[in-house]
Amino acid sequence: MERPKHFLYPGAIFANTEPYYITTILGSCVAVCLYDPVIKIGGMNHFMLPLWNGQGLASPRYGNIAIKKIIEKLEALGSSRSNIKAKIFGGAEIIATNINQFMIGERNIRIAKDILHEENIQILSSSLGGKLGRKIIFDTYTGEVRQKYVGEKK
Amino acid sequence: MSNIKITDELLIEELKIRFEEKKNSLEKLEKLTKELKEVNKKLGESEALKSHFISNITNEIVNPFTSIVVLSKNITLVKEGDWEKVNRMARLIHSEAFNLDFQLKNIFVAAEIESGELFMEVSNVKVDQLIESVIESFTPETEKKQLKFEFITDNGEDRSFTFKTDSEKLRIILSNLVDNAVKFSKNNKIIIRRWLEGKELFISVQDFGIGISEKNQQVIFDRFKRLDSGINSLNRGHGLGLSINKAILDFLDGDIKIKSEKNSGTVFTVSIPEPDQETGSFSADGNEMIFGDDEIF
Repeated sequence: MERPKHFLYPGAIFANTEPYYITTILGSCVAVCLYDPVIKIGGMNHFMLPLWNGQGLASPRYGNIAIKKIIEKLEALGSSRSNIKAKIFGGAEIIATNINQFMIGERNIRIAKDILHEENIQILSSSLGGKLGRKIIFDTYTGEVRQKYVGEKK
Repeated sequence: MSNIKITDELLIEELKIRFEEKKNSLEKLEKLTKELKEVNKKLGESEALKSHFISNITNEIVNPFTSIVVLSKNITLVKEGDWEKVNRMARLIHSEAFNLDFQLKNIFVAAEIESGELFMEVSNVKVDQLIESVIESFTPETEKKQLKFEFITDNGEDRSFTFKTDSEKLRIILSNLVDNAVKFSKNNKIIIRRWLEGKELFISVQDFGIGISEKNQQVIFDRFKRLDSGINSLNRGHGLGLSINKAILDFLDGDIKIKSEKNSGTVFTVSIPEPDQETGSFSADGNEMIFGDDEIF
């Protein structure tokens, strides 16, 4: 069960053909864990805002970009679309988020569900919303995600 | 009767609350619609920029390369002993190659950011020495424009100050700021300041150039945006630098601020917090999996 670990920062994505433990910490951010049970690989993103608004670089900080990117990445590593399953986490409403970004967690969740639906990817399980942050560990070989609630985090 | 009266009051109170709520949601809706319109406009612009991108990039890569090819060929033709001429042309080649290298690095970094393949490699960085080495790398460019750097830290002449951060990313940020200052400076001075506030690192780069109008300060971090674009060969660059800086700083949880007045210069100030200890040790902690209270999905 010993395998390398990767800490995923907000705005980054990670996927590999080798088994990994991918960990991240989520507040209002959402992480989509994609898993291919056939070839036993997985990948994760961690986005902060739902939609790229055309400002700055089109990075996976934004849900619409991050989700497409992680799907592409898994396909590039040899997964076929019909095998890919998703588990989604995060999107808590943590008080003292930016004032002009109301309901950011809610909107992050919505975009994740919408895009996965559009792309015909089944959501196997999820842990979303609420008021607490989450710490998750994704085993890319078994597809198992362990979650623990944590205190205030962005 | 008194019962009914109380109910009326309650009713009015409730109505007031409902009206207030409705007003709020209408305001929110209006705000959202406005944002949507703005985004729509931006996407249109972005599409247009994208179609110009290839031609812009071609110019900025092909032109320097052509100069390098021609100049280096000329060097081979120089008569023996004419070192002055060789030196002059070698300087020109260096200048073109330096710019090209700079542009290409930025393009690759942008690609890395956009693909999400960004890692944090935190170490104890000798920030002041890093700043000096960035300044040093611009020497031929600054000599050409007869620019002088002033570097002020809160440690005086001592350059041993260290800060926990990602040195490669800090170098990119600094290079882009210095590049910008060198490009737009009119006066012969650029001032770089480095200080610490609490656990946050601050670096500012100040030029005394043409400045940036308030309207343009809003859009300066947009990708490929070049202000007052024209065929002005003095203002080279495709505007990637600042949007890269913004993206890297977002990644590092930092910030960038502009203070500028038209025709009197610009100060860019970046701030970078020390990375979260918890996240840092978290990735290295091998015993994370054995806690009993984990939920499994």
